[in-house]
Amino acid sequence: MRKRLYKQPSKTNRYIGTLENPSLRDFLTGRIWLREHSPFSDELITQHIQFGYIATLPGVQKNSKMNSRFKRMNYTCNRCANNNPNLFVTYYCAACEQTCIYCRHCISMGRVSSCSDLIKWIGPTTRKSPNHLFSWTGTFTPYQQKASKELIESINANRVHLIHAVCGAGKTEILFPAIYECLKNGKRIAVATPRTDVVLELAPRIQHVFPKTKTQALYGGADVDKNYAPIIIATTHQLYRFEDAFDTIFVDEADAFPYTHDETLQHAVIKAKKSDAPILYVTATPSEKLINQIQKLQGGYSFIPRRYHGHPLPVPRYESLWRYTKQIESTRLPKKLTQWTKKQLQENKPFLIFFPTIALMEKAIPLFQQLEPSIQAVHAEDPNRKEKVLELRAKKVRGLLTTTILERGITIPNVQVAVVGAESGIFTSSALIQIGGRVGRSYDCPTGDLVFFHHGISVEMDRATKEIKRLNKTELTTI
Amino acid sequence: MNMNCYLCSRPLKRQLTWKQLIMYEQQAVICPTCHSKFEFVKPGEQKSPDIQALFHYNEAMKDFLHQYKFLKDIVLKDVFRSEITKALKNTDAVIVPIPMHPEKIILRTFAHIDELLKAAGIPYTHLLEKISIESQSSKSKVEREQSAQLFQLKPNIIIEKRSHILIDDIVTTGTTLKHAKAILTEAGASSVKAFTLIQG
Repeated sequence: MRKRLYKQPSKTNRYIGTLENPSLRDFLTGRIWLREHSPFSDELITQHIQFGYIATLPGVQKNSKMNSRFKRMNYTCNRCANNNPNLFVTYYCAACEQTCIYCRHCISMGRVSSCSDLIKWIGPTTRKSPNHLFSWTGTFTPYQQKASKELIESINANRVHLIHAVCGAGKTEILFPAIYECLKNGKRIAVATPRTDVVLELAPRIQHVFPKTKTQALYGGADVDKNYAPIIIATTHQLYRFEDAFDTIFVDEADAFPYTHDETLQHAVIKAKKSDAPILYVTATPSEKLINQIQKLQGGYSFIPRRYHGHPLPVPRYESLWRYTKQIESTRLPKKLTQWTKKQLQENKPFLIFFPTIALMEKAIPLFQQLEPSIQAVHAEDPNRKEKVLELRAKKVRGLLTTTILERGITIPNVQVAVVGAESGIFTSSALIQIGGRVGRSYDCPTGDLVFFHHGISVEMDRATKEIKRLNKTELTTI
Repeated sequence: MNMNCYLCSRPLKRQLTWKQLIMYEQQAVICPTCHSKFEFVKPGEQKSPDIQALFHYNEAMKDFLHQYKFLKDIVLKDVFRSEITKALKNTDAVIVPIPMHPEKIILRTFAHIDELLKAAGIPYTHLLEKISIESQSSKSKVEREQSAQLFQLKPNIIIEKRSHILIDDIVTTGTTLKHAKAILTEAGASSVKAFTLIQG
């Protein structure tokens, strides 16, 4: 009895001093995170910094060079790589009792200032390569098959690749075998798209195809998951929070609005990938700049000129709608537009009417509701945007007025499309091609009406039509 | 100088007018579209005659407050500066901002009410000190009303027999202002009113 009470502790002293915390490691691997915002305790992080497993760097970096033109200091944000001097704010910081600088560009992800630390993982990483299950049973068209093969070749050769596929060619499916190929080699993958809507649609689809692999969907307002995920589906903005993380990055809709418009997003993609990792672009309307860039880097290029159902793309027809702005402003719907709408209502087909501005659309909506009370309008700031699109699909709403927000990513069977004011600057040729891509996507109704109502034909309209016709013709030349 | 709207980052179209040059009128830092989303409090809608508020608490205001106080975007102090100046410049009362706990200031890196007043160019004096560090917004209505005194007078301060105006960012139940008012009246202020940016 006595002996048992004074039992000696076991002699085997395990050296646990520098063992890393696994969940901290899994979370921080590849990320660059604001220290104050991390879901882990401050002591744990301090401990790991002392071990040399976590590196810290200041949030905002001062560049020594003076900006010669304005005699203002140049700063760079270490998270979003923003260096626009207008987006840095100098203020008196009560915590440091001196002036500090913060970056306004990425403020919605938590403020990065010169006195806040960014942390990243530099300690040991464990690469578990669990069994990945690839459960996809679809079939490819010959074009998709070829593109998929070319894509995998490019991945194995670590070179950039561009998949140029018309709207409705089944671009997402082409990615699946390529993702599987990467997973087999223990690689980490990111699929970046410009819009949250697309992330929300894509994530469950990919999770379904790889049921045993952890996938994370990241977008503004998503919950922070502490685990390590080999597949990350994120909006391009979320890539600001990664550094040297991915072995392969797929950039979906590489021509869409914020990505081409905001240079820091392109930096973000480059920063988030490992230095030798390839970027794989997927788009229906590549810009000339992108094509040139691919050619310069001697990257791969796959071209799919046909939709999956094999029917040609609908060719737009032009209808003049002179002085449509004035007519709508004086509460009168232009005759041709009324006729078109009535025709769709009679034939009981859902329709989308694109407007160049929200203001014009809001003036027009009561006029359309006189024709049919269930017609609705959507724009980017509309909280019920998703519901309205679903109602159109369910035929509860007969037609929708919209801005360019619905130009890509949505599929509504047998939808007819009109563009009012197609000559406006906002409707670039790629926007018009994307809008045209909404028509005739389903197998049952592969055709539909696509009208450009205009006040004078613009160069961009002609360019779009020419491109659509070219795509329809090129079919027989390849393969 | 080219500037973008502080809230939606669209380019601001603005022209320098003679009035702005001569009257030192401050230029807007947000675009008219963003500004139109904020709802002014009309004369009859005030919660109590002693509390003057400028805006209602709506979705746009919620986002504004979130970005200013929790994302710590200090430049947003300028958004309502002309409205605050207009409301407070002609008063002869002592302007007393509701204080923050010193630890809280370090966490936030700035005192948000002081910054609002500084941006508007309104002189103010701190007469009170915050004792508790808990935030009012984390408590329920009953808890707030039952809470003990939140403030105390600053040491070595003499309250003049003048009218005072307390400044806060938002009034919901009015407990904070009630606590502060009690202390000032007890110390000899002849009348205590309140001015807040938002009423919730």
